[in-house]
Amino acid sequence: MPLHVNLYHEVQRQEQARQRDPLRLGMLAVLIIAIGFVANYFVVLGRAHSISVRYSGLGDEWSTIEAKAKDAKARQDELDNEVKASDAMVKTVEGRLYWAPILDQILKTVPRTVQLTHVGADAPGDDTATTSVLTISGISSAGEPRKEAEALRIALDTRLGAQFKHVTSVFKTLDDSDQFVVLDGLRLPTANFTMEFQIQVRDPIAAATPPPAHRARTAEAE
Amino acid sequence: MKKLEQEQLKKIGICVAALAVLLYVYFAFLLGPLQDSEHKAVVGIASLEPQISGAKQQITKTAQLEKQAPQATAYLNSLRDTIPDGEPIAWFPPKMASFFRSKGIEKCTTHLVSESSDSMPGFRKIVWAVDVPKVEFVPLGLAISSLENNEPLLTILNVSIDAIREDAQYQHATLILSTLVKS
Repeated sequence: MPLHVNLYHEVQRQEQARQRDPLRLGMLAVLIIAIGFVANYFVVLGRAHSISVRYSGLGDEWSTIEAKAKDAKARQDELDNEVKASDAMVKTVEGRLYWAPILDQILKTVPRTVQLTHVGADAPGDDTATTSVLTISGISSAGEPRKEAEALRIALDTRLGAQFKHVTSVFKTLDDSDQFVVLDGLRLPTANFTMEFQIQVRDPIAAATPPPAHRARTAEAE
Repeated sequence: MKKLEQEQLKKIGICVAALAVLLYVYFAFLLGPLQDSEHKAVVGIASLEPQISGAKQQITKTAQLEKQAPQATAYLNSLRDTIPDGEPIAWFPPKMASFFRSKGIEKCTTHLVSESSDSMPGFRKIVWAVDVPKVEFVPLGLAISSLENNEPLLTILNVSIDAIREDAQYQHATLILSTLVKS
């Protein structure tokens, strides 16, 4: 076995010591970390830039669209008001009480033995009122003039009741008269009457629904 | 394990200090501000996007309403167009007289009763008393029917028909009616 004599062991030992120098190794590690940080920084920078560009673009878009949106909102309010006014007008026109059909019913119902002296009718006072009042005064003439007046009241009540939702009628006055009339050659006694019809011409506005009675239901369930 | 020398410990300390400085500088002066600005931009985008979306929806909605509105308001506009210009006291009584004359009722007088604002924007309500001193029941009924059908802005509030004592064939009628006119 040949004998090797290492004459450079001192140089090699110094070289090893230099390579294992903690400062050198530490600085190398710090340098690698710094390079990683720089790479990461550029990645984040690129991402932040693209977000910033997008934000800036949105800001520009908002500044141009904001005024348009405000104008659009104002115009929408204006149009909404016009449409509401139009709807309200249609409702008003369609919600009117037409008198001609009522007068027509009176004309068809009053017999020749009755002479009307007054017909008065009031439309519901306001939007919340539902009832119209019709007042009819006249003179009935027949063998039994009171019955004749009553027959007219019932007939009118029936006819108007067929046309409107709810009709109530009462005599305000019904008095025998001392006057007589001659009809078809017959001398007939007369009675003066005033009758009033309450005609429901609109549906009442629905009252607010009361809150559900949870407790009562629970108690019933129990 | 070989015990570290004093010199080596010093060097390790220097490395640790250098690493600490690097970390501090990187996070405090480079990455930190960048992330802050990125976060602000993200928050700004998150708030702007719904606003822009809402604004676009508003513009679209208004455009659609703009297309639909002429149809919806056509009736109102057509009614408004039927109202003559000028003071109603100048044109309404002659209009009534002309109307009843066309229905065979020669004599009719119209008086202003009251005037008030209406809940309908752009309109006011005027109440009139139309007095027909001598009329038969049937022609009056036909005239009222025609009036109600041809004048949608007119509402008859009260009808009063009284027999004329001297001539049972005729009645004296008074109509209280309201009209909507331009305000």
